[in-house]
Amino acid sequence: MQNKKIKQLVVLAFFCAIIILQNIIPFLGYIPLGPLNLTLIHITVIVAAFVLGPLAGAIIGGAWGLITFIRAFVWPTSPLATIVFVNPFVAILPRIMIGVVSGWIFSWLKNCSLKPLAAMMISAIMGSLTNTLLVLGQIYLFYRNQSQILYQINTQALLPYLLTVIGTNGIPEAVAAAIIAPAVSLALLKNRHNQINN
Amino acid sequence: MNKILLGRYLPGSSLIHRLDPRAKLLLSFYFIIIIFLANNWSSYFLLFFFMALTILLAKIKIGFFWKGVRPLIWLILFTVVLQIFFSTGGTVYWHWGILSVTSTGLVSGIYVFCRFVLIIFMSTLLTLTTPPLEIAGAMESLLKPLKKVHFPVYEVSLMLSIALRFVPTLMDEALKIMNAQRSRGVNFDQGSLMQRLKAVVPLLIPLFVSAFNRAEDLATAMEARGYHGGEGRTKYRVHQWLYHDTLSCLAFLALTIGMLLLRNW
Repeated sequence: MQNKKIKQLVVLAFFCAIIILQNIIPFLGYIPLGPLNLTLIHITVIVAAFVLGPLAGAIIGGAWGLITFIRAFVWPTSPLATIVFVNPFVAILPRIMIGVVSGWIFSWLKNCSLKPLAAMMISAIMGSLTNTLLVLGQIYLFYRNQSQILYQINTQALLPYLLTVIGTNGIPEAVAAAIIAPAVSLALLKNRHNQINN
Repeated sequence: MNKILLGRYLPGSSLIHRLDPRAKLLLSFYFIIIIFLANNWSSYFLLFFFMALTILLAKIKIGFFWKGVRPLIWLILFTVVLQIFFSTGGTVYWHWGILSVTSTGLVSGIYVFCRFVLIIFMSTLLTLTTPPLEIAGAMESLLKPLKKVHFPVYEVSLMLSIALRFVPTLMDEALKIMNAQRSRGVNFDQGSLMQRLKAVVPLLIPLFVSAFNRAEDLATAMEARGYHGGEGRTKYRVHQWLYHDTLSCLAFLALTIGMLLLRNW
């Protein structure tokens, strides 16, 4: 029992290390597309949710959210981040929900005797869209009326721009999750299966 | 790889290096909070003066701090321009559609620039003078009160230390995998979006598999050495709160009072 707990902890720590790494190295964590960056970090969260369960997905998502939040102050990823992700709700909550939603939908679909690949693709898309929708929804909620906490920017004028950028990023992100997350998760599950048998 | 945030610790024996990591972590956060108190020229001047003083005490060349700002300079300038064009209030100098340049906009644009530079300088100072594992240790001891509400403090800090410890190892591995793919003719920054996405799969699978294998080995090694949770675990490096830690807290108190005075002046 103790052994299992230590292993779970260490594996989670390694996932956090991969998330930190993806924040640093291009092509591993994000694909630069002109002025915008397409993130790939949500894939790590989804893989954690598939391989280790929704709770682990939530923890890894929370770690990513925390990094996003801190980076918005000291090392922002984009001009958007300095406006949007300084709000801890916008930075952390959607990331946690990626893990929870994709993990739960996956285990539910698996019980409906769907093939693992199809189940993973559907839940990866759902998890990725959860992130996009929650970020969009919260931006709308928080920045619709009142002016900014940090800057006296006229957010009313910026709102359509913000929503377009995040909305257009959301679809390629979902596609990326649907392609990459199942491939990685299936390989990992197979590898783990082999290890237990040996 | 020199431009990354983590692990650019510069060994030294200055006063700032010798400060208790808990004090450094808390005071850097506190400094970032106080920056938002500044609302006029004299308060920003005071902040820059204080920053310069701490940099002098740390005996680190100013060039290292500019290295922290440089990769972000375009982003900062973009934010400043955004600030200038989308601010309202004050005298209007120029106006076109939803864009306008006003006196408030110009002043707050410069303030935003100062704020960014100060925040980056302070976080750079923290990472330059404190090894990552010391930061993890400091977080553990600062989070300890949360034990009362059943927050898993030991587990979280252990995860953080393991993660920070293995970032460089996994980075070497990731770069090796990327180079292996490049030598097979994969080009990561060309091709359609779909091709680029597909090129990521053979990067991530080996990275995850090797991380899993390493985790397995580490868990076995920890168990073999008798790891049994954080309760009652002793430490190799023990933090000691000394008089210069109290002294630096007093310096920050003086800074806060100065800021509050200047703010309402």
